[in-house]
Amino acid sequence: MQFFLQQCLIGITNGALVALVALGYTMVYGIIRLINFAHGDLIMLGACLALTLVSAFGLAGGGMVTTWCGVVLLVLLCGLFCGGLNVAVDRIVYRPLRNAPKLAPLVSAIGVSFIFMNIGLFWLGPADRSFPELLPAANLLAGDGLQFTAKDLLVLVVVIPLMVALSLLVKSTRLGKAMRAVSQDPTAAALVGIDVDRVIAFTFFVGGFLGGAASVIYGLYINTISFQMGFQNGLYAFTAAVLGGIGSIPGAVVGGLVIGLVRSLSSAYVGERWTGAIVFVILIVILVFRPEGLLGRGTKEKV
Amino acid sequence: MLNDRPSGMHDVTGAVPLRERLVAFVRERWELVALVVCAVAPLVVPALGGALGGQVTTLFIYCILALGLNVMVGYTGLVHLGIAAFFGIGAYVFAILTVPMYPFQMRFVTAAAVSVLATAAIGLALGAPTLRLRGDYLAIVTLGFGEVVKVTLRNLEQITGGMKGLNPVPPPGKGVVIGGTDLGLAFAIDPRWFYYLALAALAVVVVAMRRLEQSRLGRAWVAVREDELAASAMGISATRVKLSAFAMSSAVAGLAGCLYAASLSTTADPNAYDFNRSIMVLCAVILGGLGSIPGTLLGVALLVGFDTVLAPWADAAIQQWNINPSGSSLLSFSGWRLAIFGLALVLVMRYRPEGLVPSRRMAAELHKEHP
Amino acid sequence: MVGWKYTSWALAACLLGAVGCRPADPTLVKIVSSLPRTGSAKQQSDTLVRGIRMAIEEAEGRVGPFRLEYLDLDDSTAAAGQWTSEAEAANARRALQDPDVVAYIGTFNSGAAKVSMPILNLGDLLMVSPANTAVGLTKPGLGAPGEPGVYRPTGRLNYVRVVPADDLQGPLSADWAKNRGIKRVSILDDNEVYGKGIADLFDERCREIGIEVLGHDSIDAKAQEFKSLMASIKAANPDLVYFGGTTQSKGGQLAKDMVSAGITALFMVPDGCREQVFIDSAGAANLEGRCFVTFGGLPPEKLTGKGSEFVERYRRKYGELPEAYAVYGYEAACVALRAIREAGTKDRRAITDKALAIRDFDGALGRWGFDSNGDTSMRTLTVSGVKDGAFRFEEILDAGDEVVAP
Repeated sequence: MQFFLQQCLIGITNGALVALVALGYTMVYGIIRLINFAHGDLIMLGACLALTLVSAFGLAGGGMVTTWCGVVLLVLLCGLFCGGLNVAVDRIVYRPLRNAPKLAPLVSAIGVSFIFMNIGLFWLGPADRSFPELLPAANLLAGDGLQFTAKDLLVLVVVIPLMVALSLLVKSTRLGKAMRAVSQDPTAAALVGIDVDRVIAFTFFVGGFLGGAASVIYGLYINTISFQMGFQNGLYAFTAAVLGGIGSIPGAVVGGLVIGLVRSLSSAYVGERWTGAIVFVILIVILVFRPEGLLGRGTKEKV
Repeated sequence: MLNDRPSGMHDVTGAVPLRERLVAFVRERWELVALVVCAVAPLVVPALGGALGGQVTTLFIYCILALGLNVMVGYTGLVHLGIAAFFGIGAYVFAILTVPMYPFQMRFVTAAAVSVLATAAIGLALGAPTLRLRGDYLAIVTLGFGEVVKVTLRNLEQITGGMKGLNPVPPPGKGVVIGGTDLGLAFAIDPRWFYYLALAALAVVVVAMRRLEQSRLGRAWVAVREDELAASAMGISATRVKLSAFAMSSAVAGLAGCLYAASLSTTADPNAYDFNRSIMVLCAVILGGLGSIPGTLLGVALLVGFDTVLAPWADAAIQQWNINPSGSSLLSFSGWRLAIFGLALVLVMRYRPEGLVPSRRMAAELHKEHP
Repeated sequence: MVGWKYTSWALAACLLGAVGCRPADPTLVKIVSSLPRTGSAKQQSDTLVRGIRMAIEEAEGRVGPFRLEYLDLDDSTAAAGQWTSEAEAANARRALQDPDVVAYIGTFNSGAAKVSMPILNLGDLLMVSPANTAVGLTKPGLGAPGEPGVYRPTGRLNYVRVVPADDLQGPLSADWAKNRGIKRVSILDDNEVYGKGIADLFDERCREIGIEVLGHDSIDAKAQEFKSLMASIKAANPDLVYFGGTTQSKGGQLAKDMVSAGITALFMVPDGCREQVFIDSAGAANLEGRCFVTFGGLPPEKLTGKGSEFVERYRRKYGELPEAYAVYGYEAACVALRAIREAGTKDRRAITDKALAIRDFDGALGRWGFDSNGDTSMRTLTVSGVKDGAFRFEEILDAGDEVVAP
């Protein structure tokens, strides 16, 4: 039982991280129906910046307060960096393609992902790089049983407020309303006076900001970054977004948690070697029975 | 630019200068011209008998794979992110039927036929339950299927050899002795045999695709892509049409897989059939022009040619001319490979979003929508 | 009929010669290497190439009556980030078709060797591997059924390796663990030819000598973390965790996740992890005093004679101690050079035969020779620990002949 709980705990923490990345996919998809293949690699660049900042300011080895302040600052800086980068990419690459055939931006996104990877290769070098352990590894739970460290706590502490803030933003603000309007029908949104390009740019910024935050958490939680990390990150996050119902914010969260749990439980009870297959078998089965994802809404056919 | 169908027949009647007639001929019968050029090339370019020949053979095989993908993505409009899985299944089934490890040890043609049928069947089996999924949901199912296949190939060591792959896959014609030469030996020694085999297979696939395009089925594919509801209203069974696209696409990918395994004489390890490969082929199809046969071929030639032919050549050249004595990755071509590749994709899509050689229908559509 | 056969062989050979890119230059020989030069294995292949280059430079551009050129080929592609069968096959064909190439140094990955060995074998081109350790490549009966015959379509040998194969490393590691009082082990591998091969041999030996194997699982080298896996291992409570794999297949990440899961067991890895990058990627603190690495041969600082001279020259030239594999690159190139010099002709078969006939080689690795399979007679393994962020030599494991499985 304790073993099961431990695996669930790991699954939830991992899943929260996946969900944070998945939000970046789902937001961009929700608004311009683009699978942003470059999102994983954007996060990789965020992690590069985080590593550079941590080394430059010697954050490792500071006191408790310094460390947590440093982490918050890192999240902000990397968030701004990734958000800005995402907006720039949207402006330069995707905006000219708004009226192009549907798959053209997809290929552009793949192209951007390759360019990011090359930048990461020069930034980090070809090998895996160790991200300093800023947080103590001590177990926060009493006793010898369950393991829950400051790192795990960090993931939940950062991810949950960000998600809540995001839902509030989309649900209750003017800008959020505009985002939903553009998502439903860009032409109609433009007709009622919404600056569609600005709303899209803002969405890219928010998605990128969440990605930047995810990159810091990723570095602190997994402690290894490499120029190839974007791919696997993106794969699971994208899967999570679709599983939950792409375009749906709570869906991305649920999808992320499901993926995290499936991964840890299949590693524990079936074997690590089958994990990759089991995640996707479950995905396929769920989609066969719920074609719009767990929380997605059915799209109406236009006649 | 190149057109899908013979057009402007009326231009070449009467007393037209020879040069223009030649140009018109090349335009209309580009397949024939390309085929002749490719067929004559090894006789003129000696390098094709060497490593380059092997690389171009690989290129032809990817062309076949991309034409298979084009059936789904181009004609039927279903995004497919796992074509490499079918490529891999074709290669592994073919290998199981031919390697000495297994008792079958079929001849090349039989094994290829069985493997193509098996791949098509697996395509149907995946397609049947998932075809009601729309757009990107179907895309992720194919992506997931690709991952499942890769992991399974890796883990079922008893059957697939795990990461070792299955080898040695015997060359075609092994044991067939013509004029004292074992044909298999000839295949193994001179890459031009495989070059011609792959070229012939590619030619057959191109002709078949051209015929399909204009057949009832091909037109049904396009109808479903354009408007599924309207197509159903016209009495086309969308499910059957999509399923047939799935099967056709898988079968052609399986054929490419057979050739791939035979030409490398191994299935290679399962990583050769991962998501990267699917993406590469998908990019080639879109870059070239959806639903356009010459576009698809051009897309593959550019993208795969860049990675397998140009990049190794450039790296070797940089070394031989001693441009980069310190070995810095900033000065080596491979250091920039990803960026060049990515930039090319972005730029082509920016300036030719419909692809390099769009099919006539696609081009017309775009024109209509955005004058 | 026999005549026909020879004629067709000769015809094929003429064809081969005729289609080469350039006419052969009778005064030039080329040595090529095929190693993963892009992607995550680049650091290790860099040190190998440096070793090869040093041997080439010492020859001062000449070997026997010939001018000497060296070409460093890449068997990885940017898109894959690691070696690929296609690139390796293309390199092998390229070498085979260039009449000036007389030796092929490579590969790094055992899986890649399986692709190029049968190709190079057709042309009797000498292949010297500085790093392949999978047993099936050379040793009959130890690998998969049909190995190593499947890599020798002509039935003749053309492959040698200067590094001891895993049939020593895997079992000796288990013996070492037993001597240290280890009773329960968990085994992991990266599901690659090399990693899985060595982990299987370790596993087998553990069962033979009565070490309890609590589990044997394969990881996905592309996965990013192994926290769930480590929670399972923690529950099993082993004395030692063995990982058959390399730095590139996440050796460092495993060590990290092991520590953060609160596992106190020892961690043992094979030579694929014996590079400074492994320590860097794992974080030195996570390995300190608990990680042990086996390695075929002596580590650079323990080399004597020609070996220590090599280390000294390397240090002068590059300003740092060579990684463990550098000396193997150097030795492989020296073997190729000696074979060319002794043969005194550009005939590939003659050169290959000279290399295979090496029984007593006084090189940087010590005195050794090739056996009838093309394997090195060197049977020394060393174990190193990690101390203060660097590998620290622990002990020599000497394999008597009896350790070798039949």
